[in-house]
Amino acid sequence: MALNFQQSGSVFVRRVLLIVFLVASLVMMLLYAREGESGVLHKAQAAFSGITAPLDYAGAVVSNATENAADGIENITASDETLSGLRDYNAELVEQYAKAEEYAQENERLRQLLDLKDTYHLEGVGARVIGRSSQAWSQTITLDKGEADGVDTGLTVMGTSGVVGQVISTTSHTSVVRLLTDPQSGAAAMIQSSRVEGIVRGSLEGLLYLEGLPIDAEINPGDIVLTSGLGGSYAKGLLIGTIVTIDERSGHATRRAVVSANSEAQALEEVLVVFSADSPMLQDKGDQDGDGADKALPNDSQNAENSSGDGTNSVENTEGTGEAV
Amino acid sequence: MTNERKTIIVIVGALLSVVLQIVVAPAITLFSVQPNFMLAYALTVSIVCPHEAGPVLPFVLGLLYDLMGTGPVGAMALLFTLASFIASRVFIVVENDTLFMSLAILAGMLFGVEMCYGLILMLMQLPVSLADVFLYRALPCALYDCIVGLIIMVIMMHVLAGPKQDREMHISQL
Repeated sequence: MALNFQQSGSVFVRRVLLIVFLVASLVMMLLYAREGESGVLHKAQAAFSGITAPLDYAGAVVSNATENAADGIENITASDETLSGLRDYNAELVEQYAKAEEYAQENERLRQLLDLKDTYHLEGVGARVIGRSSQAWSQTITLDKGEADGVDTGLTVMGTSGVVGQVISTTSHTSVVRLLTDPQSGAAAMIQSSRVEGIVRGSLEGLLYLEGLPIDAEINPGDIVLTSGLGGSYAKGLLIGTIVTIDERSGHATRRAVVSANSEAQALEEVLVVFSADSPMLQDKGDQDGDGADKALPNDSQNAENSSGDGTNSVENTEGTGEAV
Repeated sequence: MTNERKTIIVIVGALLSVVLQIVVAPAITLFSVQPNFMLAYALTVSIVCPHEAGPVLPFVLGLLYDLMGTGPVGAMALLFTLASFIASRVFIVVENDTLFMSLAILAGMLFGVEMCYGLILMLMQLPVSLADVFLYRALPCALYDCIVGLIIMVIMMHVLAGPKQDREMHISQL
């Protein structure tokens, strides 16, 4: 038996095993720290995420069920007071409405991804989020597209309103994305108006920080933050977010600013994995009068158009998983 | 209860904790904090069966936890193994088998593991401060783990040890 759980009752054997396991753990940690992304242990992690992908699908179902249960409790509370005689009929209507609303929202998200693709001249593949991190110490999502679809490690991933993360490992049909809000993430970024460069990092508190800003740099709340493409880790010129507040830290040689995150992991359902980008936003140098903001946030104007009602005309599009993107 | 039956129950419970970690934990995230079912289970087994708990179960669970995430492989395997050993030894030395004492040991170990994991990540170049690790992860995660651990402990006490803790020396199992 490969895993001998019966340890013959010997305290000695148990002690030896304890020492062996502790030493093995330490060796693995050191090996993991020294090896690169293509190392054995990194590959083992990637392979394991592929093995657990079916369970990730189940996890997504459980997440939806949790949300639906919460909604259901709210609905039941309301209907007890007002719809006692028509509860069954109301439940049927609510179910139909919820389904229609789900289709409409999915349609809207896919439309926004399409708009984003046009705005940034992106080449990429749409993917559905099938799993989220099962650990509190990391912020990752699992996508239903992998090497077979052209997805590779290092590619930038965008949500409906901008960059959300980067692919860190792939299997043939799945990939794992580290979100920008993960403390281990780091994206070279710049402020669109002043061209000041810095690094956008996640944090344990869930905020995005733009770090390494010069003390004398002109930074204002509302400034747009883009990927700078330095280091080649993220595609250049893609929207990260806008500056919310500037964190003046006394005694530090640099400043940092809080950046509004594009999406939370729980809200992401469909994303776009970017193969290449030719962003027109990089050509807006010196645009400080706010025009860039309109260009940088194409979904705002698009949302206004969609609110007129045409978001309901292509329900069959939602059957796809973003391939249309 | 025979040793074989106990072993089977412990293995089934371990598998269940892995499934819960992958399927349920992401769905019950609160402010970026998730429970660690696998850690709570490994520690609970070591407290409920202090004489029989060996290092195989915590090591395997810890290694699986490492492989499921993006952190350093081996870190949780090390902490699971070490914490389980310490928890079982402390429980034997204290000689107080009330639920309160079991929970106190469990809570201490859970917090210790979460805090040590944060420190290991900091050593591995995670750009966060010690205060952030304590405030935003270790403490809330340990509290969440305690709730899960309490439920697991009540179940395991009835399934493995019966209504009263059995402190007699038995054959080492896991």
